[in-house]
Amino acid sequence: MSTYLDADTLLAIDVGTVNTRASLFDVVDGRYRLIATGRAPSTAGSPLFDVSEGVRMAIERVQVITGRQLVDESDLLIMPVTGQGSGVDMFVATGSAGPKVRTVILGLMPGVSTQSALRLADSTYLEAVETIHLLDTRREEEKIDAILSCHPDLILIAGGTDGGAQDSVLKLIELASIAVSQVPASARPRIIYAANRGLAATVADRFDDRFDLAQAPNVRPSLEIEDLGHARLALGEAISEARARKIRGYEELEQWSGGRLMLTADAFGRVIRYLSRIYDPEKGVLGVDVGASHTMVAASFEGDLRMRVETGLGMGEPLPNLLRHVSLADILRWMPREVKAGDLLNYIYNKSLAPGTIPTEEIDLDIELAIARELLRVALRAARTQWPSGKNLNSSWLLPAIEPVIASGAVLGRAPKPGYAALALLDALQPTGITTLVLDPHGLSPSLGAAAAIVPMLTVHVLESGSYVSLGTVVSPVGKTRVGRKVLNLRLEYDQGTEDIAGEVRMGQLVVLPIRPGDHGKLTLRPERGFDVGFGGPGKAGALRVAGGVVGLIIDARGRPIEFSPDAERQREMNLKWLQDIGART
Amino acid sequence: MSEIFLPSITHVLPMTAIRRQRILPVPGAIMVRVNEKVQAADVVAEAEIEPKHYYLDIARGLGLSPKAAARHIVPQKGDRVEAGQLIAGPVGITRRSVRAPAEGHIADIRQGRVLLEARGELLQLRAGFPGVVIGSDGSQVVTVETTGALIQAAWGNGLQDYGVMRMVGESPASRLQTDHLDVNLRGAVLVAGICDHSAPLHQATELSVRGVILGSMAAELIPVARKLPYPVLLIEGFGEQPLNSLAYHLLINNVGREVAVDAGSPWPQPGYRPEVVIPLPANRQVALPEDVIALKPGRRVRILKPPYQGEVGLVRELLTAAISYPNGVRARSAAVEIEGVGTTNVPLANLEILQ
Repeated sequence: MSTYLDADTLLAIDVGTVNTRASLFDVVDGRYRLIATGRAPSTAGSPLFDVSEGVRMAIERVQVITGRQLVDESDLLIMPVTGQGSGVDMFVATGSAGPKVRTVILGLMPGVSTQSALRLADSTYLEAVETIHLLDTRREEEKIDAILSCHPDLILIAGGTDGGAQDSVLKLIELASIAVSQVPASARPRIIYAANRGLAATVADRFDDRFDLAQAPNVRPSLEIEDLGHARLALGEAISEARARKIRGYEELEQWSGGRLMLTADAFGRVIRYLSRIYDPEKGVLGVDVGASHTMVAASFEGDLRMRVETGLGMGEPLPNLLRHVSLADILRWMPREVKAGDLLNYIYNKSLAPGTIPTEEIDLDIELAIARELLRVALRAARTQWPSGKNLNSSWLLPAIEPVIASGAVLGRAPKPGYAALALLDALQPTGITTLVLDPHGLSPSLGAAAAIVPMLTVHVLESGSYVSLGTVVSPVGKTRVGRKVLNLRLEYDQGTEDIAGEVRMGQLVVLPIRPGDHGKLTLRPERGFDVGFGGPGKAGALRVAGGVVGLIIDARGRPIEFSPDAERQREMNLKWLQDIGART
Repeated sequence: MSEIFLPSITHVLPMTAIRRQRILPVPGAIMVRVNEKVQAADVVAEAEIEPKHYYLDIARGLGLSPKAAARHIVPQKGDRVEAGQLIAGPVGITRRSVRAPAEGHIADIRQGRVLLEARGELLQLRAGFPGVVIGSDGSQVVTVETTGALIQAAWGNGLQDYGVMRMVGESPASRLQTDHLDVNLRGAVLVAGICDHSAPLHQATELSVRGVILGSMAAELIPVARKLPYPVLLIEGFGEQPLNSLAYHLLINNVGREVAVDAGSPWPQPGYRPEVVIPLPANRQVALPEDVIALKPGRRVRILKPPYQGEVGLVRELLTAAISYPNGVRARSAAVEIEGVGTTNVPLANLEILQ
C-alpha cells in the first residue's frame, strides 16, 4: 500500500483577493477525488485584514456540504483524521491575496541580467516600480532618490556572471546599501542578492545584521544560462513575509500546512509544468487564470515553465488599468449588443469599486466576458515575449501548438453555460491547429500544485477526474481565403451508437459537432490547399482520436487573427451568432 | 461553528463616534497634544517628504584617495549644514575644498564620499474635522475623535476640505447643472445627485466651493475631477446613480451645517474609505460604528448591481440554495424587501450592509 492511502484526506485552501476556497479531497475506490468545495468572501482586506475569517467560512461551507467536522470548537484544524471520521490527514494552502510587493530592480546590462530580473519579477506577485542598470545615465544621487521615493518592499540585485567582473556589481551593492541605510530600520526593504556569487561574502559584509538580506543563486550564472527557479523561491519567501506583516492569518495557514504555504502563482505554474511533461512533447501546455487582482499566463514546453503574473490586471480593483493597454472600442467589439462607451467605462470603474459583485443580467455578463477577453489578450501578449524561441511573438504572432488549455477564474467558471467560457477563450487566445479547452470551474489548480509536493498521485487523479470540465476539442484551421469559401472537409465517426457526421466547414464559420463528455470518436480532417490544421503543414489531411466535451467538437474557421467587421452593428450580429453557434445563447 | 456571511459595510449613521488616524508617510513632528481640541484646518502633524540627496565625491573633489579624503571631511554624520558650508578641505596648494550644494544634514559618510540630504517638501496633515486628539505615537500618527453623522462613500478625487453644506436640486437624482450654481453657493460644500458634465464642476471652481458631494458621476469625468482644487466625493459610484435614500435624508437634514469632506489623500491607509463627517454634539455616550456585521434577516442593505443598483432594502431571508438569475448565473442569495419594489432575490455578493 502506498503511503498516500494511509493519509487519505486532504484539505486545500486558496486565499484569493475576492474569494477564499476550501477544497476537500478523499480517496474513493482507490483514487483521489474532489469531495466538496466551499467558497467564501476573502477577508484579507478591510476591515479585518485577517485571512482567517474567510478561511473559516469556506471550511464551514465544506462542513455543511459534507456533514464532516474539519475544525474543532476552538476553530483549530483537526489533523489527522479521528476515529469518528472528523478532520483531515493533510493540509495545503496557497495565497494570492495581499498588497503588491513594490520592487526595485538593480541589474547590470539591460538586455541580460536586468532582463532576467524583470522576467523574474513578472513571474510572480512583484510590482517592478523602478529599474536601474549600468547604462542608466542618471547621476548616483538621482538613483538614490529614485529608490527612496518609490518606498520599495524589496530590492532585487542581479548582474554579473559567476566568476566574472566584480567592479560594476560592487557599485550596485554600494548604491543599494547607501539608499537602504537611509530608510528607518522598521521600514527597510528586504534585499535579495541573485547576482555574481563571487561577491557573496562581500554582500554579507556590506549588508550586515541591520539589513534584511537573502542571497539566492545567480539568475544569470553565464551569458547563455538563465536560472530563475532558485531566486523565485527566495522571492516567494519574501513575498509571503511581506504579506504576513500586513495581513494576519497567513501564519496560521503556514503552521497548518507544515510550512508549505505556497504562492498561488507558483502552485498554478507547478500544475502546468507537470501537465507539459505528460502531454504531447511537441506541444506546449497553456494555463490562464483571470483573477480579481491578477491575470496569470503559465506556459510550459517540455517542462520549461514560462510564468507571467500581471499584477496590475484583473477583474477587480485594478480593472481600470486595462484601459492603459486597450481602448473601450477594443472591448466593445466583442459585445453582441450595443453598449455605449460611457456606460462601459462606468461599468469598469464600478466593478473596480465592488470587485466581488456578480452579473445577474445578460448585458452585464456580456460586458464581463468581453473585458475578460481583453485581459487575457493583453496578458498573453506580454507573456509571449518571454516564451522560448520559436514559440514567442518574435517567431510568429500565431499561437504555437498547445495541448491543452487550462482556464480558471470566476468570470469563466461561473458562466451559466460552458459555451460562454469556450467562446471567450477562443476569442482571447485564438489557438491554432488542434487543442482541447479545459475549464477549472472550482479553481482547483493552485491546490493541486501545492498538494503535488506531498501527494503527487492526488494531482494526477483529480486532473483525470470530472472536477475539471473539458469544454471540448477545438480545430482551428490557419490560412487565408474569402468568407464563405470552403476551408476543410471533416468526418466524425463515433465509437458507439451515434451516426457518423460528415460535412464541410467554410471560412467564417464556428461549427460545433455534438460529442458528449465520456464519448470518443475518430475525426478525419481534409483541409483545403493553404490551410493548416496541425497535421504537419498546409493542405495536409489526417485523423485523430477525439474525446467529448460539454460544448462538443468545435471547428473554429473564423480565421487567425479573427477579423472584425468595420460595421459595428454587423460585428454585434456576428458576435451573437457565434454565441448561438457555440450553444451559449438560443 | 455556524455559517455566516460578512459582506462589506458602508456606514451611513446619523450619530456615531468617529475616530480617525492621521498618519505621516514618514516620521516627523506631531503638532498637537493628547486631549487638545482641534479644528478641521489645524495642522496635527508635519514632516519633510521626498528629500533630495547629494552624493558628494570628496575624494575626487579634493584630488585624493578615498582613504586620504576621509581625513579631510569636516562635519560628522547627522550634522546639519548650510548651503555653501565647508564639507571637506581645504587641501593642497590650490586649497581645494568641497562645499554643501544645499541646506540639509549629513546622512552618511563612507569611502571618501558624503551623502547630504537636503530639506524636502513640507507635508502637513490637518485634523480634517473638529474634534479632540485622543492619541499619538509621538512621531507619525495622531488620532482625532469627534461625534456626529457619518456617510461613507465609494470614490473620492484625493482632496479634503471643510465647509457649510448646501443642497443643489430637490431630489436624490437631481443633476448638478450650471444654472443651479450662483454666488449664494460661494464657499459652500455642494450636494447633488448626479453629474454628467464637466461644466458645472468648472463653474463650482469659480465659486470657490469647498467640496462637491454627489451620488454618482460619469466615469469619463474622473480626469477632470482629479484636477479640481476642491474635493469631489461620490456616495454611490459611477454612472447615473441617485443618492441612496438613507444618505440623502441624512444630508438634507443637515443642510446649513459645517461638514468635512474627506475625498482621499496621497497616502491612503489600508482600509481607507472616502467619507463625509458632520460634527454634531452628542448628549449621550455614543459608540464607534461596528466594522464587522454578519448578514441576517432584518439587516439594512444596499444593492451593488443592476437591476436594483443603489436601492436600499431589508434582508427578509437568507436563501439556503443557490438560485438562477435571468442570465443563467447561479448564486447564493438573499430575499431583500425594497420599498416600492417588493421582495426580490439578490446574490449575496451584490449586497453590502448599510449601517
